[in-house]
Order: sequence, then C-alpha cells, then structure tokens
Amino acid sequence: MSALTLRIIPRRLSRLGWTGPAALALACLVGCTAEVGGKGMPGPNNGGPNGPNGNGAGSGATAGGASATGGVGSTTGGAAVVSPECMTGVHPGRAPVRRLTRFEYNNAVSDILGDTSAPANSLPPETIARTGNVFGNDADLQSVSSNLADQWSKIAADIAARATGTSDALAKLAPCAGGATPDDTCTKTVIQNVLSRAYHRDAQQADIDSYLALEKAVQAKATFASGIAAIIEAMLQGPEFLYRIELGKPAADHPELRKPTADETAARLSFMFWGTIPDDTLRMAAKSGQLDTADGIKTQAVRLVNDKRARPVVRFFFDNLLPISGLNNLARDKTLFPVYSATFADALHEETQTFLQHEIFDEGSTGTWTSVLTAPYTYVNETLASFYGIPGITGSEFQKANIPDTTKRLGLLTQAGIMTGTITTNQSNPVLRGSFMLNKILCMNIQLPTDPAILAQVKVPEGVTGATARERFTKHREQAVCAGCHALIDPVGFTLENYDPIGQWRTTEGGEMIDASGSVPGTDGTVNGPVELVKKIASTDAAQNCFAQHWMEFGYGKTLDSGDSCVQQTMNATFKNSGGNIKQLLVDLTQTDAFLYMPAKD
Amino acid sequence: MANFRLNRRAVLRGAGTVAIGMPFLEIMTPVARAQAAPAAQRFLAVFQPGGAVHDDGTGANKWRPTGTETAPILSPILAPLKPMMDAKKLLVVDGLDMTSKNGEQHQAGIIAWLTGNSQQNAPSNGGVPTGTSSYAASPSIDQVLATKISSGKKQIASLEMAVRWGTGKAHGLLSPISCANFEDNAKASPIAPRIDPVQIFKDLFGSLNTSGTVDPAAAAAVDRRKSILDHVVGEYNSLVPKLGTADRATLQQHLDKLRELELGISAVAQASANCMKPTQVDTSGYNPGSGVCGANCTAADSGANKDIATDTLIPKVGTYMMDMMVMALACDLTAVGTFQWTDTEAKHTFPWLNLSEHHHFYQHDGGFKAAECEKISTWYSTMHLYLLQAMDKVIMGADNHTLLDESVVFIGSEISQPPTHTNTDMPFLLAGGAGSFKGGRWVRYTDKSNNKNSHNNLLVSILNMFGDTRTTFGNAKFCAGPLNNLT
Repeated sequence: MSALTLRIIPRRLSRLGWTGPAALALACLVGCTAEVGGKGMPGPNNGGPNGPNGNGAGSGATAGGASATGGVGSTTGGAAVVSPECMTGVHPGRAPVRRLTRFEYNNAVSDILGDTSAPANSLPPETIARTGNVFGNDADLQSVSSNLADQWSKIAADIAARATGTSDALAKLAPCAGGATPDDTCTKTVIQNVLSRAYHRDAQQADIDSYLALEKAVQAKATFASGIAAIIEAMLQGPEFLYRIELGKPAADHPELRKPTADETAARLSFMFWGTIPDDTLRMAAKSGQLDTADGIKTQAVRLVNDKRARPVVRFFFDNLLPISGLNNLARDKTLFPVYSATFADALHEETQTFLQHEIFDEGSTGTWTSVLTAPYTYVNETLASFYGIPGITGSEFQKANIPDTTKRLGLLTQAGIMTGTITTNQSNPVLRGSFMLNKILCMNIQLPTDPAILAQVKVPEGVTGATARERFTKHREQAVCAGCHALIDPVGFTLENYDPIGQWRTTEGGEMIDASGSVPGTDGTVNGPVELVKKIASTDAAQNCFAQHWMEFGYGKTLDSGDSCVQQTMNATFKNSGGNIKQLLVDLTQTDAFLYMPAKD
Repeated sequence: MANFRLNRRAVLRGAGTVAIGMPFLEIMTPVARAQAAPAAQRFLAVFQPGGAVHDDGTGANKWRPTGTETAPILSPILAPLKPMMDAKKLLVVDGLDMTSKNGEQHQAGIIAWLTGNSQQNAPSNGGVPTGTSSYAASPSIDQVLATKISSGKKQIASLEMAVRWGTGKAHGLLSPISCANFEDNAKASPIAPRIDPVQIFKDLFGSLNTSGTVDPAAAAAVDRRKSILDHVVGEYNSLVPKLGTADRATLQQHLDKLRELELGISAVAQASANCMKPTQVDTSGYNPGSGVCGANCTAADSGANKDIATDTLIPKVGTYMMDMMVMALACDLTAVGTFQWTDTEAKHTFPWLNLSEHHHFYQHDGGFKAAECEKISTWYSTMHLYLLQAMDKVIMGADNHTLLDESVVFIGSEISQPPTHTNTDMPFLLAGGAGSFKGGRWVRYTDKSNNKNSHNNLLVSILNMFGDTRTTFGNAKFCAGPLNNLT
C-alpha cells in the first residue's frame, strides 16, 4: 500500500464478523485504495452504516492518511434486514452512568426550584468525542476535575441562597417553611419535596434522617434559612442529582440482564425528550406500574414528544448537528455581501429551526427525514423573503412560504443558513460543503490527513486562480495523494456551487457559467445541481440510517459501538418501516433493548 | 512518605485513628530527609501553540540561539527573553524530540507535551485515532506533581487557565485539540481549563483574606461548607459500592475530588508577604465563550468565525490572567498551574500585531507564512518575559528569594516547525531558580541515539527537581533517564 491510501475505518466494529465482497465496491468506485479487512465491517445484512446492498468500505490497514468511516448505502432501498443474531435475545448495549449536561442541569434546577438563571452556564464545558456523538453528552467521556467539583459546589450555594433568601422563597419549598417558627416536621417536608424532584424518587427514612441532621447542625450556628439552604446545597451536589444513577432491577424475562426501575425509566424518558427531571405525570405513571411495560412507556413517550417541552431538546439536537448555531459570528465581506449581518444570520438560524419544528411537529405535515430533506417550502420573515425572492411576506414574523422555484432550491440542506454555515470565507468552497454532507448527513466521517508521510507530499497551492470553484480546486484531483478523498468529497460540493457563500442562487461565478454536476459516493449515476443532490441523498439508506444514528447517540448519551449493533440494526429497520417519520423515531427510541433493558452489573 | 504533611484538620481527625501507637510529636514532624530539600516548590506549565520557526523557507532558523552554551546569542523569536537569560533564570532546552507523540498531529502534540505519551487509540504508526476516546493514555506531569505537592495541601490542587480557548474545531468544548492536562488516575481524564477572567478573579480572590487576621464570618462559612461537603461525601460513599465497575470508577473520581475539595478548604494558606489580590481589570468586551458554536459548525472549524472584539483584548486579558496565576501561586492557593495561550487550533486573529488571519492560517492553512509565524512567536516571548518578571518580583522569604526562584516554569508547544508539524527539535524553555537547574544557558541535545534526546527525559528531570526520583515518565520506551547537563 502506498502512502496514497485512503484509510477507511469502521466506526462500529461489528461483532458479527461478516466481511463481504460488497465492501470492495466503494473502494473501486471512488478510485482510492482501501483495503478490506478489520474486525467485521457492517455487511449487507447487519444494517450498519451501509444499506442493505452494502456498498461498504473496508478497513484500511495502512494507517495515517485521511480516514473515512463507514460507507454509503445503496440508493435502491428494499426491505431493511436485521441479522439473525439480533432477531433472538436481548442486546441492550452498554448503559454508562450519565451526568447532567449544563443544558440539563439548568432545566432541572428550573423545574425543582423555579430558578431560571441558567446557573450551569458557568461550569466548565462538556468533553466531546473526536468522532461519534456530536452532542457533548457522551457518558464515557465526562470526568470531574477539581475545578468542576468546586464550581458545582459554588453554583449550588448560589442556587440554595436564592431558594431560601426570603420567606416567600422558603414558602415555595413548603408552605410551613415560610412561617414564623418552622420546626423539624417542616424541615422534613422540605426534604421530601426537594429530594423527590432532585433525585426523582421518593425520599427514604435514611435520607430524611441524614438531611435533617445536616440542617440542624447548620441551623445551630446560623438560621433556619441557612439550614434549609444547606439541604439544597448538598442535594445539588449529590450523586443522584448530578448523575442519572441506574441500579436497575432483575429482568424477569431475561435473568441475565437488568431493567431500569420504574423511577429510572421515568428519568430516562424525561431527560431524553425534555432534558430535565420527570414531571408529576411521569412520577405517577412510574408509581402506578405503567412504566413496567413497553406499551406503557410508549404511551408516555408519545405524550412527551408531543408536548411543547420537547421542542427545546429537538432544537438543541439540530443546533449541534447542523452548522447554524454560530452563524452570527460569521464574518462576511460587507461589500461583496451587503445583506449579510448578525441579524440576517440570526434570521437564517431561525428559518432552519422554525422550519424543522413545523415539519416535524405540525399536525398534517409529513414529518419524515425525507420530507425535511425535500420540502418544497420553508419559513421566512420579510428580510429572508426578499432574499429568496418570495413575494407577499411582510414583517418580522416567520411565515410558511413555498419555494418559488423548486428546481433551484429544495429542502433543509439547500437553506441559506446551511449553505452559509458550511462556508468559511468570502469564496465558496466545495470541499467544506461536501465534507459536511458526507460526514454529518451520510455519516461517512472523512477526517483530515495526518500522516507526516502524506502531509510532506501535500503542498498547499500558492496563488491559486480560477474563476469558478471547480477551477480553483483542480489541484485536489491532480495530486494523487489528495485525490483519494477529494474524489469523494468534491463532486458532492460541486453540485452546491449554484449557491454563493451566503446561500444565494447564482448561475455564474467570475463571469463563467457554473458547472454544478457531480455525484454522491456509493450511489449510481451523476447528479446535476443542488436539487438533484438532495433528492439523491434523501433516497439513500445511508442518510436515513445516519439520522437515526445521531438520534441514538444523542438520546442514549453515548457513541454507538459494536455492542449497539443490534439496537442500531433494529432501529434502522423500524425507522424505515415507519416511513422515516421523525416523531415516530423519537418514540421508537424508547422501544429498543437499549432503552428497556440494561446489561448485567459487572 | 518523604513529604508527609498534615494539616490542622487532619490532625484533629487523625489523632484518634492513624496516630494511635505513634508518638504524637513524631508524626507532626516532617520525616527527616536523607538529602537536601528540593528547591522546586511550585510548577507552572505554559503552552503556546504553533511551534517555532526553525526554517523560514530560506533555511534561516528564527528560534534557535547562536553563540555558545554559556554565552548564547538569542534568536529573533527568543530575543525578548534576554533579561531572563542575563539573570540566569532561563534555560533554552534545544534539540529534544517529542518521540512519544503519536496520533493526530496537533492533538497528539499537546497531549504528549505534558504526558510523554501517545494519544489514545492512535494507530501504532501514526494517524487519526480510531476510537471515541482520543485523549491521553496516561496522566500529565502537572497532575502528578499536584498529587505530590499540592492536592489536599493547598486550597486548589492545580490551576488550569487558558486565554481565548476552544477555538476552531474545539467548538468551545473540551476536546483533544484543546487539552493539555490529564488527571493523575487510571483514566487520565482530560481537564478543562478556566477561561473566564471575571469568574477566575471571583473564585480565587473574591473572598481571599490577605489581612493576616481571621475573619470570623469567613471561618463560619468554611465550617458550614465542610458540613455540607461531609454530607455529600457520605452520599457518594454509600452509593459507590452499589455500582458496576465502570460506573464505580466514574463516581469514585468524583468522590476523590470532593475529598480533595474538603481538604483544600481546610488548608491554611502560607502566603508570602507579597501575596495580594491582583488589581481587578475590566475585561468587558472579551467573550471567553467565543469558541462555543455548537458541536458542528464548519465555519468555526476553519477559523472563519471571527470575534475581532474578543481577539483585540487578548493581550490585556492574557496579562491579567498571568497576574492572577502569579498571585495564585504567591498566595499559596495552589502549587501547580498550567497557562494555555489558546488551544492547538489557534484559530483567533492578532489585531494588535496587524495580523487579520488566524495563527493556524499562517502555519499552513493559508500556506506557510514564516514572517507572520515569527511575529506571533516573538510576541509570545514578550508575554513569557512579562510572566517570568512578574514571578521574579514576588519576594517569598527573608532571604529575598523570589517566587520564580522556588518555581520551575516549563514553556512549550505542541509542534516544532509550523507547516510540517514536526516533533523534532521542540522549542522548549525552562525558567526558574538556581536550585533546580543552571540557567543562563542554551543546552542543545544532539545525540539522538537510544532516546537520549526524547522529551520524556525532560519530564523525568522536572519530576526529579521536585524530589520525585522516578527514572521514567509517560511511555517508558522513550525514556533514557533524566537529561544530563541541566544542573
């Protein structure tokens, strides 16, 4: 293998150990030298990142080049197949203890104490994975530094002081606490009230005894309010608040496994869909036994998903998946793009989020990932309507509007926010747009090259000229060392060249006609222009499976690994069978082995 | 237990337990040492990104001194540090290779810098790691030193600060691109630095009492906090045994940090006479969260997300944060610090140098721009001079020795030559007192045989300066023992 090797790494090493000849297909297709091998790439029948027809990529044995993960599914669809190993038994995958993210901490404190000051914003940031989970909630990666322990302690003290600062505040914890002479009975009521929410379970006698002792010790040297504050301060640092502790219970139907208890299931549901502690209805459902069955869980999941409180979580998901949340920091040349400003950028962000909320949640909308990717409409205010050439929209409110010409623009990926967020300078860049589509929409994960032997051969071209991006980016194809990956990336990006760096439609660049022809790796034929591209992407299993994968990683708070293979295959099949409906996908996340079971305690 | 010390609270607790069977006075007295006490009492690591300019394209080396070992003529990049060289408190450690570096080039570089080990899950012959966790394979030297000289003895075990951190692909989050410090435990978990100057001042100096007399209200607050922490520790203690192995490790780490916090708030600061609150600086306009843009913003990845207002304030905020780091050491809040000038992405601009692109752009994103890289590296030298001089102004004892004299400052980068990201001839500097090494010199290690010039050896030498006698650190296969010719 020469240094020109494209390194293609399977992200989820399948335990099934199947490596099929189809895995060669992508390598040949894209003209890069990928080797087949490794520990069992997802093959035709296990529904990994590949579709049923598995144009998968092999695992390169030669290290160091740019790397790509996974393959792209076939365009042809067909019935999703779950491998025989996954058809029997229960395969929950790992369930590492999860810590509240800053987002969840803020929500929880708001629900427990009515404190909406978002105190967790001052905590050190979450740890992110280099690949995989892009949401900052990968349980395996979070650790506690000295500073974090100290900061948790400090914000808990601030929150507790606010919650006990006045007699009105105290009365909210328990009416008696706002009175003149609260006694130990009152303290116990406060403990029960706060603990049942913060730890999402009923307080036990031992809890009440130990917290009462703490309160009395502190009160003895200070005041009742200070003692109550100490309870809250301790609870907000407690393991059952900061972590989602799941001790589980024996699974009657599968003695080798465990199931989350009803209270733990309630927390799984509420944190997944609302990013916070369970509400009273969920607590009641847990107590009544409703959460002991998959159907009962589904009932609650449907309720949660359809509640408006699910919206911020879905928004958080897309803010992290799509390149839209940093738009208002993006620099654009004022002369070249006079329309572009921070306000305009915020509008682009809102367009995408508003569109997604409506398409996913509105009664009557199709609400599938395909319909999101190919919607003939969007949501705009007056500013954006004028930008898109949509007549009849006035004011700052976002309104539904049909796309005037669906041969030029169609669906989420052609929205100006996405086309702007993927471009970094005042010139469009097919590499960045192509990388986004492959990495985040098709889960191919092509990384920058790092092998010194390869980098030594890579010379950043100086003084590149050319009217169009296609001309400026010719070196990629001339230098063999670059061509391996760029043969995958660039043809995707070229099809988006009809959008300028702020996503405005154009047919020429630098006085030359734009050639927007290209192709999508792993699919047959060519595509011409952005609309054909998004239709092609929407038709692949890879795009569907990739979207489901992002939700599993976000919802389960981990990066999927080989132990999640069966869950993933089943989920892919379920998603496909549901017609790709997104709300249904969210509900179905609660019907998997990963949600309903836990591995045995090791 | 050469360094065994007890604080007052531990004594009160321990009197009934560990001290049983021992003469009380004996345990209160430091165990007699066989050798002289190590001079080094504080450790500070300083990270600057992007390496040096060993070849500007014409073959000229803009970093390496000329002249002789004891009479070095400083290169343009190091020239600002001449006062420290003249004071014989600076040592240019030249010619070391970061042989343990393995993985993605920048990430593996910043990871290896203080750990002497590879990036986790990196293929054996280099390249991008394949697994999810791609941080350090073992602890960083600062954390190992913190365990030895700071944890539980000072209020804060170690203090990590970073200026303009979380740029580019780090997205404002803790990422292998942005992290230099790794816990001294089996997981070697990454540590996020403190980045907000306002919060740092509040945390470190907000309630610092420099009057020399005990404030009863503050003492009561400490007592109250101890009661609460005791309770919290109890909850973790009773829960941890009920968990599976992996979860137990996660919560055990948390428990360890809570215990350290408990000990820390009891630690009696032995502040120098020159301990004082730094002058509070108005940093409005500086956005420490500037890098935060969601986990996938391509525009940030490339540095196109520019925050000129924040970038403009980097010199002011950086100076302020150095002041706070110096006083945190002088006031004995901690004995171990790390000061990071941005992450390895280095995707911020330099308005005060009239450089409108980001550092990484000049390294290679925009083609190697040697003059710009030299300008940036030289500016970092002026900042290092400020830091070292600030440390050298703080008188720590009756003999007029300074904070710098009792410290070891290790200044380094993740790569060597900017465009190629090499790991040879790393641009490393040591600063500190004569008790630790012989300064005022340019030492060049040219023997590359048998890992003799591996930077692991420098890490071993630093540990030795603090009385840790180990002979290997990080990946042992790159260790040939401590460096010669340091003292």
